[in-house]
Amino acid sequence: MAKVTFEKVVKKYGNVLAVDDLNLELEDGKFTVLVGPSGCGKTTTLRMIAGLEDVTSGIISIDKLDVTSLEPKDRDISMVFQNYALYAHLTVAENIIFPLLARGGKRVEAQGRLQEVAKMLNISHLLERKPKELSGGQQQRVAIGRAIARAPKVFLFDEPLSNLDAKLRVEMRTELLRLQRQLKTTTVYVTHDQEEAMTLSDVMIVMKDGKILQKGSPIDIYEYPNDTFVASFVGSPRMNLISGLCDRGLFTSESGIKSIVKNIGPKKTVLGIRPEEILLVPAVEADFMATIEIVELLGPRAIVTLQVASEHLTAIVNTSDMGSIQEGLEVGVKFRKDRTHLFDEKTQVRL
Amino acid sequence: MRKRESSWGILSKLIITFSFIIVAAPLLWVLLASFKTGSDLNDPTLVTFTPTSENWKKVFSSGIFQSAGRSAFVGVITVAISIVLGSMGAYSISRYKTGKSLTRFGILAAQVLPPAVLVFPFLDLAYRLRLSDTLVAVIAAHLSFVLPVVTWFLIGFFDAAPKEVEEQALVDGLDRFAAFRKVVLPQVAPGMGAAAIFGFVLSWNDLFYALILAPGNAATLPVRIAGFNTFRGVELGAMCAAILVSVVPVLIASFFIQRRLVRGISGGAVKF
Amino acid sequence: MSFRIRMILPLIATFVAAVGYPLFYSFYLSLTSYKITQRWDSHFVGLNQYRDVFANSDYWSAMKVTGLFVVIGVFLELSLGLAIALSLQRQKRFRDFTRSFLLSPMFITPIAVGLMFRFLLNQQLGAIPTILDKVGFSYDFFGSGNALFTMIMIDTWQWTPFMVLLILAGLESLSKQPFEAARVDGAKPFYTFRRITIPMLAPILTVAILIRSLDALKVFEYVYATTRGGPGIETQTIQYFTYQTGIQYYRLGNASAMAYLLLIIVMIIVVVLFKQIEKTRRL
Repeated sequence: MAKVTFEKVVKKYGNVLAVDDLNLELEDGKFTVLVGPSGCGKTTTLRMIAGLEDVTSGIISIDKLDVTSLEPKDRDISMVFQNYALYAHLTVAENIIFPLLARGGKRVEAQGRLQEVAKMLNISHLLERKPKELSGGQQQRVAIGRAIARAPKVFLFDEPLSNLDAKLRVEMRTELLRLQRQLKTTTVYVTHDQEEAMTLSDVMIVMKDGKILQKGSPIDIYEYPNDTFVASFVGSPRMNLISGLCDRGLFTSESGIKSIVKNIGPKKTVLGIRPEEILLVPAVEADFMATIEIVELLGPRAIVTLQVASEHLTAIVNTSDMGSIQEGLEVGVKFRKDRTHLFDEKTQVRL
Repeated sequence: MRKRESSWGILSKLIITFSFIIVAAPLLWVLLASFKTGSDLNDPTLVTFTPTSENWKKVFSSGIFQSAGRSAFVGVITVAISIVLGSMGAYSISRYKTGKSLTRFGILAAQVLPPAVLVFPFLDLAYRLRLSDTLVAVIAAHLSFVLPVVTWFLIGFFDAAPKEVEEQALVDGLDRFAAFRKVVLPQVAPGMGAAAIFGFVLSWNDLFYALILAPGNAATLPVRIAGFNTFRGVELGAMCAAILVSVVPVLIASFFIQRRLVRGISGGAVKF
Repeated sequence: MSFRIRMILPLIATFVAAVGYPLFYSFYLSLTSYKITQRWDSHFVGLNQYRDVFANSDYWSAMKVTGLFVVIGVFLELSLGLAIALSLQRQKRFRDFTRSFLLSPMFITPIAVGLMFRFLLNQQLGAIPTILDKVGFSYDFFGSGNALFTMIMIDTWQWTPFMVLLILAGLESLSKQPFEAARVDGAKPFYTFRRITIPMLAPILTVAILIRSLDALKVFEYVYATTRGGPGIETQTIQYFTYQTGIQYYRLGNASAMAYLLLIIVMIIVVVLFKQIEKTRRL
């Protein structure tokens, strides 16, 4: 169990800045998820913790120990890679005890730990097989088993679920969460999938262009995104972002979208509203009118695309509330009170 | 329903059959001749005759097995050195881009060097060190072409091997050399096998260096076989037998390595 | 010292000893009057050896012989190799056996191949001329005008399999989709071959031609086994000529200059070819 800290860490590839002046503290025992689009520096950050990537400048420490120039083996970490990186020439059992033996452990003692781990992950029946005889999900379990066989200070995960199919991914997600709660080991997890980040993390860190945009609990980030990028990156379907003018508590867009908002301005702003906070109401209660363009049924809920002049809005509606809603119809629209987000149009930062 | 055989299909069968005959006929003829007596050899088209083992006896008592042993020794030592040094160096070049394109170019360029450029310095050095007509000189010379080829092959294989597995090993607690030895090498083992065989064949077949550096007491197999080059009728049969001594082992070996070689080459060995 | 340097150092050291040292030393030799019979009496003669080589018409004749050998030989091997590889690719029965057998000549010691053909093609005792003679066709394989072509045939017998091997490996690594698309589009086999197979194989064909040409330049064994350069100097290749000068006549300094000049010419050709390939690639 340990804290991981970054002090003024910079990573350059030639002239390309991959990670820019990173100052960060990852808390002890917490499940931290680094999330962002590809090329945002999240994987580089993870690999710098592992020692697989040199640091251009700055200090990384694990449990107050400066590890910046240590070899990976001396950092007391374990890691799960995207493609599992199993040792193809070893059996499952040998794969799992590899980190124990590599550090000079006794084979006999390792056997005991092997059985525990195999039981925990439900792979006891696979121990004598070679990796290529396993399904993707099973390989994933073996890779995780190898990571938890030892009790390292930090677990590192590099998009470990992205090669699995959708159903298995959800299952493994739950399992990972259960394991981490049980082991209480500091965990750093990298993904580009915001949904995975939301469901897994204690602490979520959104990165872009080598910089941290926001750090916080998933719910905080969802409710109070720092800027328009985080606002649209987190949450699915994405938050609607509408440019317009804010004047004395009233927001108006060129296309005619109106809403009561905070009393600021007059100022050019971007209004953000999550799909589930858009209400379809009778014309008398509405702030503005819109045409229903497309209805996509998802079962209990439906995604409704609304058209207001040239602007499109995405709304989520409970199927039971839909009533007579159908494509081509004109409906009244209102944003739920106090659920709008306002961003400065110039800086894109939250107001 | 039977599909009508296309004209290209028939042609391809013809090509294979014809090639088969072209490859097989000379070998069969030499095999036949190796059992003929001196007088039978005067009629080259003779097919039925009383076979004699005289030629084979002569070849077997000529020291050809010692020569084959020497060739094998030279090949094994050369390949062993090349594989050990080559795999370490190739790994450094492939994974850490050591020396950038200069090292890659150097190794490629070494394969272009005409042997005539290198052989005389080896000969002169062998004289000075009193190593002429020994296998040491031959091994040194063979290293000059086996080492670059093997290293080149291996660079391709390391380039194709996934990086994550060795990174995993580093995280799992191995130092870099142990990770290389225990995790990276097993991954490229099939490729190493192909490279080793290829290097061995190159060394085994070399006449030029061996003839110049060790023409006498330390003759390798090609040098020994070249010694049967005669056209006095009585020794023709022995020459045929000697040819076969060198052909049979490679023929058998090629049956085992053909599939691996095709795969090894498509696995990334031939890339520029 | 970092890990990567420690890993490459043994290779570099051996490389310098086994390739670098002889390379520079032979350049030095080419500037001296070194003779292996009079090692104590060797002195620096500057570029004299090169002047002699330039003026030596036998050297240029050997160059021409080698050039013809390489160009015709590689062209034949490439054409036959393509035909055989494409045939083998279609083949279904006895696949492994046929492949192994057809590839086997390239593994045989070249000197043995040379001797084998010397035996088979000999005017008096060889099977092939005798059979030809019986059907009323007299042909002297090692006679004037024919000998070089016989050398090329021997080379083709041994090395076409190498082309087959590379092309086959190339064919098997090609993606199937373009071929299926061509079939759906109704392309005729020859059209598919010309417009899809050849362009897709182009990189590996280039590599194959390059490797084979550089190797064919070194031809020595067939000449040593059969004609020893004759008749006259019709089949005297550059490698054989250098060997004769250095070993038969002991003139190491002169032979080194010959070898170095060859190296320079080969390097120029390789660089020009590479430039050409780069250019066509960009077009």
